[in-house]
This record gives sequence, C-alpha cells and structure tokens, in this order.
Amino acid sequence: MITALRWLVFAVAALAMNFPILVTLATSFKSARELTTNPGLWVQAPTLANYMAVFQVTDRLNIALYLFNSMVAALTGTVLAVVLALPAAYAIARGRVGERTLLPLIVNLRAVPLIIFAIPLYMMFQWLALLDTRLGLGLILTIVNLPLALIILVNAIRELPAELDEAAQIDGAGRTRTLVRIIAPVCRPAIVTSLIFGFITAWNEFLFGLMLTTSKAVPITVGASFFFAASGGGVQWGVASAVMIVGALPPVLLGLVMYRQISGSMTAGAVKG
Amino acid sequence: MTTTSPSVRTSEFRLLATPLVLFLLVFLGFPAIVNLVYSVSQVSFETLRSPQLSGFSNFAAVWNDAAFWRSVWFSLRFGVLTALLECGLGLFLAIFLSPLIVKRSWLLAILMLPLMVAPALVGLMYRLVLHEFVGPVPYYLWTWFGAGVSFLGPGSAFWTLVTVETLQWTPFALLLFYMAYQAIPADIGEAAAIDGAGPLRRLWRIELPLMAPTIVAALLIRFIDGFRVFDNVYVLTGSGPGGATASLSIYIYEAFFKQGAIGKAVAASVLLFAASFAVLYGLNALATRRKGAAA
Repeated sequence: MITALRWLVFAVAALAMNFPILVTLATSFKSARELTTNPGLWVQAPTLANYMAVFQVTDRLNIALYLFNSMVAALTGTVLAVVLALPAAYAIARGRVGERTLLPLIVNLRAVPLIIFAIPLYMMFQWLALLDTRLGLGLILTIVNLPLALIILVNAIRELPAELDEAAQIDGAGRTRTLVRIIAPVCRPAIVTSLIFGFITAWNEFLFGLMLTTSKAVPITVGASFFFAASGGGVQWGVASAVMIVGALPPVLLGLVMYRQISGSMTAGAVKG
Repeated sequence: MTTTSPSVRTSEFRLLATPLVLFLLVFLGFPAIVNLVYSVSQVSFETLRSPQLSGFSNFAAVWNDAAFWRSVWFSLRFGVLTALLECGLGLFLAIFLSPLIVKRSWLLAILMLPLMVAPALVGLMYRLVLHEFVGPVPYYLWTWFGAGVSFLGPGSAFWTLVTVETLQWTPFALLLFYMAYQAIPADIGEAAAIDGAGPLRRLWRIELPLMAPTIVAALLIRFIDGFRVFDNVYVLTGSGPGGATASLSIYIYEAFFKQGAIGKAVAASVLLFAASFAVLYGLNALATRRKGAAA
C-alpha cells in the first residue's frame, strides 16, 4: 500500500520535473499540420521531418555551426580547467601552498554572480579580438568550471596516502614528475568526474555565450533562442522542438551514462566546498 | 640520499600553482580592477580607454534608480522562494522515495534528467509548453477545466518563473538529501527503534538533525543560484511585463547592452560584488567559528 503510494509520488514527480522535455520531445515528432490541431502529449502521426529541417542552413541560422561551437568551446573550457586545476590542487593538498588564500578564493567564486565580471571581460575581449571566437568563449567557460574542478581534485589528492609521493621522492623524482607519473594516473576517476561535470556545465552555459558571441562562435543555447526571435510571430514549433532536443542531447546522454559519478561529485562539491 | 630543504620544495609547489594564479589574475583580477576604476569614472563606448574620474555619481545614479531596487527585490524574493520550495520538495521526495531508489538506482537518473538540460533551453521549452495555441498546458486546462490562464501576464509571470525554476532544480536538492540520508549509519536508526522510537520520531529527532549541514548547504546554494538567475528568465519573459521580472543579473545586462549605460552597469556590478563578498565573508567567519566551537 505505502509502496504503491511511493510509486505514485515518483511518477508524478518524474512527470512534473521532466514535463518540458517530454512536451518538446513529443512536439518534435509532430508534422506542421498536426501541430495546428493537436497540442496534446500524444503524437498521432510521428514524422522525422523536423529533424531533417534542423540542419538546413538559412541566412540567419546555422544549427550545425552552433553545435560545433558549443562542442569546441565546452571542450576547451573543460580540459583547460582541469589542466590548470590539477597542478594547483596538488600544490594545495601536498605543499599547502595557497591553502588559506587561493583555495577559499576559488571556492567562493562559485557563489559570486559571474555577471559582475561580464562587462570588463567584454571590453577586454574587444581589445584582444576575442569577441565572437570559440577560444574566447572557451576561456570564460574555464573560469566557470575551475571552482568545482579544483574542489574535486583537492579532495581526491588529500585522500591519497602520503607514502605514495614519499616513495617517489626517495626515488629522486621531482614534484612535477611525481604529479605526472603517479598522482595524475591515480586520480583518474576524479579527473574524469571533473571533465564530465565541466562539460555539462560548459555546454549548458548561456549568459556569456549571449554577451560574447554574435554570429561566428554562437553556442547552441544562444542559437536556439535565435530560432525563436528570428521567426518572429510564426515560430516553427516542430523544428524549434527538434533543435532544442538536439541541443540538449550531448549533456543529457553524458548525464544518463555517468549519473553515478555526477551525483557523487555534486554532493562532495556542495558539502565540502 | 638527496635531501631537499623545505623552501626548495615549497618553491616547486609554487611553480605548479602559478599557471592557475596567472589565469585568475588575467581573467578575474584585471576585470575586477577595471570594474572599480570604471565605477567611479565617466565612461562611454567612445571613451573606453580614457575614463574620466567622476566620483560616485554612477553609484548615486544606481542608488536612485527605482528599477535597480525593483530588480534587487525580485532577485531576493525569487532566490528565497525557490530555495525554500526546492529544498522542501527535495527533502520530502528524497526521504519518501528512498526505499524505491535504494533498490533501483536508475530511478535517480530519471529524476536527475532536468539537471542535465541547459536552463536556457528549459526556458525555451516552456515557451512551447505554455503557448496558448500549441502548448499542452493551456490546452488541457481549457479542455478539462474550461480555464484560460495567461501564464506570462503581469499577475502570474513571477509565479510561473518560480515554478519553472523550482521544477528544474528540485532534483538537485533531492540528490543531495538522498545522499545525506543514505549516509546515516543504519545502526543509529536500529538503536532508536529498539528504544521504541517510531519512524516519524526518528526522522525528526535523529535523521533530520544529522542531515542539517546538508540542508543548510543546499538552501544556500539554491538561494545563490536563484538570486543570480538569468538564463530561463531572460528567454521566457525578457524582463517583462514592464520590467516586473528583471533580476539583478538582467538589470546589469540591460543597462550595459540595451541602454549603453556602462557606468551604471559597472556600479551595479560593484555593489553586487561588495554584497556577495560581505555575505560570503560572514558565512565563512560563521563556519570557522562553529568548527572551532565543535573541536
């Protein structure tokens, strides 16, 4: 009896929280004609026409380019964040360098609304000709990803036994060598978690994509919103839905495959940070 | 055997942390200084490189701007309400559903799905969901109840946005609370059961107090995220109707990009920076003191 109630609550919660995704998924399979007559969740005559239309390039919209931009910028922001955070995490956890300044500063960065840096960054990017480039967006996504990557990596290195690097020291290896040869391989799960988490965050970022790109480097989150603005009064809802599903797919697939790692690191990041 | 002095070892560690420090100085330190300089300067897009010091007139302009205070009020209300709703719902779901999830962890993946989708995309999806002709919610409301509701109109836009934010981020609270609930050692509950404590009493007296740090952390994280909200509000309502749903982030964005009021936007940024710094500093001091008291 109580178990049935639990299932009912689960079903209602899962439906309510995933409702926009389900509606968009259903709409993406409706033909233009069905859309005008059937706003419900059930698709009467499923069609793939909307997905075929997603990659048609028009003079104002280029969804394939937006997806490519998101991919490049997100990968840049994810990998660079880990590359910068790993040696620093090692220095913090083992050398106690910056444990009282650098670490709290970066951890608190997660709680600062990043928009306060947006305007100077916009001007700086103008001077450096980084506006509307994938590299520029990737650099900003690095900042967005750094705090969590650093927290995850510091925690992972702190949990390693000290004998591990002492052995390497006795063998005459320097710190850098120890980091590359011993610490990094042992920390692989934490590195993978930071990468997954960073990629999802970076792919889903919107604010800086909106401000720092205009046409060449527009990420999909911003490009999808163009789709609504560009079509003005007559939004093609079927194609718009297909665009949103395609744009949501990479992080969703990653999340579904890796949900165990993600749930673990979310908790660690929240409680220890 | 080679012995290295402590200072040599520290210097190699310093070297390892240097790239990160340099990166932060360039991408956060420099912007912070620009913010401070521009906030006390007269500056426009034409005079970006030669700002004229002008005292605190930018701050005065922001301080006397009714739209600024309206956006602060929006952000505060939005942050508090969504944090409370998300954590309340998340706590209930985490505890009530945990017997199901323990046996089938893939249920968690279904509940976590909204966290993987960009808030901007979720906002756009609600444009479809709530659309008066093609959206299922107005359609079902009309066919089942004969009710026509304007979800993004003046009276309801705020509550629609609160609902949108809450439904997307309740899974985050749920996840944290589920993990914390599972981390409670089983023998504590068993001991209490032997002492004759019922499930509700155990929940209230033992489990919830043990989860308290996580609850506080979740409330805080969700408040901060709600307070700085931008993406879903921006794509759903812009800032309308009539500026009623402009969050502080949207206020700064519009001051800069739509009005070209660089000084005002920068001064508002500095105020927000100072406020976040004060709050964070206070929280850190509090946390350190509590840790000290506990030790």
